[in-house]
Amino acid sequence: MKVLVKFWSYFRDHTGCAETALELAKGTTLGETHAAVLDEFPKLAGSKNSTLKAVGLEYEDDDFVLSDGDEVSFFPPVQGG
Amino acid sequence: MKTELTISTGAIDAAALAKCREMGKGMGAVICFSGVVREIEGDAPITAINYEAHEEMARHQFALIFDTVEKSWPVESVRLVHRLGVVPVNEPSLWVEVTAPHRAEAFDACQFVIDEMKQKVPIWKKPIPA
Repeated sequence: MKVLVKFWSYFRDHTGCAETALELAKGTTLGETHAAVLDEFPKLAGSKNSTLKAVGLEYEDDDFVLSDGDEVSFFPPVQGG
Repeated sequence: MKTELTISTGAIDAAALAKCREMGKGMGAVICFSGVVREIEGDAPITAINYEAHEEMARHQFALIFDTVEKSWPVESVRLVHRLGVVPVNEPSLWVEVTAPHRAEAFDACQFVIDEMKQKVPIWKKPIPA
């Protein structure tokens, strides 16, 4: 299945891109996707534990199972205000 | 509960926003909060902060926060403006208004909205050094 991963804030500086398309096995979780992204973009590893993860417009946990066509966002802690 | 959310690059005009206020006759409290860019970020002097958002998700997360406010306090209205892009020192990046029958719920709801925003709404800042 295909999943689009988007990066926000300074994560884009670490990846050098705003998004990447991944081909994943059916049943892949959000946490497994995060691990795959860290393999591809090792500069994000330093922020591993503070990374916020969303699928679509909702925050999700690492055990969330992704579906074909999902849009995943990875970003650092938010700083509004 | 009435809600109004504005996320834009335009400057926040608190006086104009106050002028547009519509308040029921049973309301006894209005809380207006402005978050203003300070001249120091961390230990470093800055001239401005550049705000960026995942805007669609930000709007959704604000809507969830407003839903919780409606379920938790007898609030009549919440209006919130968050500015994006470059916001110079001394200018507001955030404006929140809550109207309610009494001050306690108005203060509590306003504090809640800001606290939740700082945990959940995907907006980020990049200080611009002086």
